Amino acid sequence: MIWYKLLALFAIGICFLLLLFHFIRLIKLGAPKDYARKKGNTGQGIAYSMTKAMSPVQKESAYMHLPTYSAGMVYHLGTFLSFAILVLSFFYVNWPSGVIVFFTVYLALSFLAGIFILVKRIVKEQLRLLSNPDDYISNILVTLFQLFTIGIFWIQALYPYYFIIVSILFIYLPAGKLKHLLYFFAARYHLGFFYGWRDVWPPKTIKYLNKK
Amino acid sequence: MSELTNDQIKKGLQVLSSSEGSKLLTHLNSCVHCGLCAESCIYYKAYGEGKYIPARKVDMVASIYNRYNTWLGKSFPKLLNARNLDEEILPEMIDLLYGSCTLCGRCVKHCSIGVDIEYVVRKGREMLATMGYVPATLQSTVNAAINTGNNMSIPEQEFRDTLTWLEEDLKMDVNDDNACIPLNKEGADVLYTLNPREPKFFPLSIAAMAKVFYYAGENWTLSTKMYDVTNYGYFSCNIEEASEIARRLFEEAKRLNVKRVVLAECGHGSRSFRWEAPNYLKKEFDFEVITSVELLAEYIREGKVKVDADLNKERVTLHDPCNLVRSGGVFAEQRYILKHTVADFIEMQPYGYENYCCGGGGGQLSMSEYNERRMKCGELKADQIRKTKAKIVATPCHNCVDQLIQINVANKLGVQIKTMAEIVADAIIP
Repeated sequence: MIWYKLLALFAIGICFLLLLFHFIRLIKLGAPKDYARKKGNTGQGIAYSMTKAMSPVQKESAYMHLPTYSAGMVYHLGTFLSFAILVLSFFYVNWPSGVIVFFTVYLALSFLAGIFILVKRIVKEQLRLLSNPDDYISNILVTLFQLFTIGIFWIQALYPYYFIIVSILFIYLPAGKLKHLLYFFAARYHLGFFYGWRDVWPPKTIKYLNKK
Repeated sequence: MSELTNDQIKKGLQVLSSSEGSKLLTHLNSCVHCGLCAESCIYYKAYGEGKYIPARKVDMVASIYNRYNTWLGKSFPKLLNARNLDEEILPEMIDLLYGSCTLCGRCVKHCSIGVDIEYVVRKGREMLATMGYVPATLQSTVNAAINTGNNMSIPEQEFRDTLTWLEEDLKMDVNDDNACIPLNKEGADVLYTLNPREPKFFPLSIAAMAKVFYYAGENWTLSTKMYDVTNYGYFSCNIEEASEIARRLFEEAKRLNVKRVVLAECGHGSRSFRWEAPNYLKKEFDFEVITSVELLAEYIREGKVKVDADLNKERVTLHDPCNLVRSGGVFAEQRYILKHTVADFIEMQPYGYENYCCGGGGGQLSMSEYNERRMKCGELKADQIRKTKAKIVATPCHNCVDQLIQINVANKLGVQIKTMAEIVADAIIP
């Protein structure tokens, strides 16, 4: 195997181990014991937290910021698509030209979404004051990753640079804010557990009392 | 700000190293600084300043966590804006965590990730409390509760005198010389609690609840020793003091051997005793704890009290207390009550789980140094009320009542503020 692929595999391995460490730590600590008498259903609360509670109609952070929300969605899907292409890039895959064009168009959109989010962070003063270098590094690394994912479809010579970007990204991922890849799900779990216990989620209507 | 001792820093940091489950670790590692939570916060809506973005409050605590608990924060603090816990950070920390948050939890629901921002703010407050930096105004309310048994320092005799004339009033109101307000009755089905603002400033809400109990035929009692439903230790986040206040009510319920503790109309009081106290005391309670709103709904649903909505003809709107609704799951009950007790009910927009805090939560009512902010945030509530064209604002929380009364005067709304018990009492068919 070529050195840059080995380097990327090494970085992915390190990333996997560190994320595993975070994951095991979360599992070992577990959910906090709640001594209050349970009123609702934590299972339903967690299910709601992972599904309907994330619907754009439920969140001001989505429906009041549709351009940013849409850019974020496109960007995250682009990242997952890039991860999938990365896995396959370790093998010989003869991509059909239609698929290449589709990936290129989508990832170009996703790349632009990443740039939009980055520019917004730089330009908007309140967001800039909230940000730290990690926010910029994380955004730039992921956006570059997507750009180079497009690149390898069209320019063979970019392969070494692509895998170097991949290596840096994966080494950095468990240390900075990109680890929300894991913590996002833990946060949704805890929120669902908390609101489920207290019967806040799933939300009730007045009909709920008539059924009691 | 005086210099922090190593012991204070150690105590403060210990709060962040707590191993009580993975909740704290999760929420300190989840914020992505998107800033989309801004508009969900009443402080940001009132002032439009970046410092009020809820994510800034999370970052305040997370930056300290990162500095001492993560490899990146220890090795390259500037990369994460990781900050030392020192006297330099304290004024900002106090201002953001105590002075710029009502712990309403609205931002939590709207966070794009699901960070429990309110929980992180409370952890930050806990750090400050552990280091001895609770604002003196808030601490004095906690001290009053610890030293006198109620947060308004009402002497027992004064409390008994108030109840005596309320009992006389009740007898006349229901035209029954046997009607009473039972005190310290062992083995009662219900131990009812009060917000000390009631005997001090709003005795009619006690009278209203006594009338409801009378018509429901409830076997109830009040304790003269420990009746205070509030727990300002929950706001200061001094866990030791919050636990002590909770323990007293728990022990009184045990001493009187009651089946149910019914929490008066008080958002944080109901939250702190029903949901937090068992965790403060690390024990499951062997008696039921419910809010009076749930009990009132139960009486109406089961036909224990007969009500006529036409007896309350004026238009009524409802202010949902954050701790009762968003953090306590009591949403349908107050609507059920109003559906049966008022002729013209209109919701505020937004309402329920989405409702805006009145501005008086999180201990703000006792921290006079932040009065200007509190009243500015209250303008948002004033706008909501004005748009309903209601004549009466009902709310099941005495702290909210207090803030709404001030909002009413400051914004010339010309409305009446009532508790749910008062609304029900007015609608009772004898």
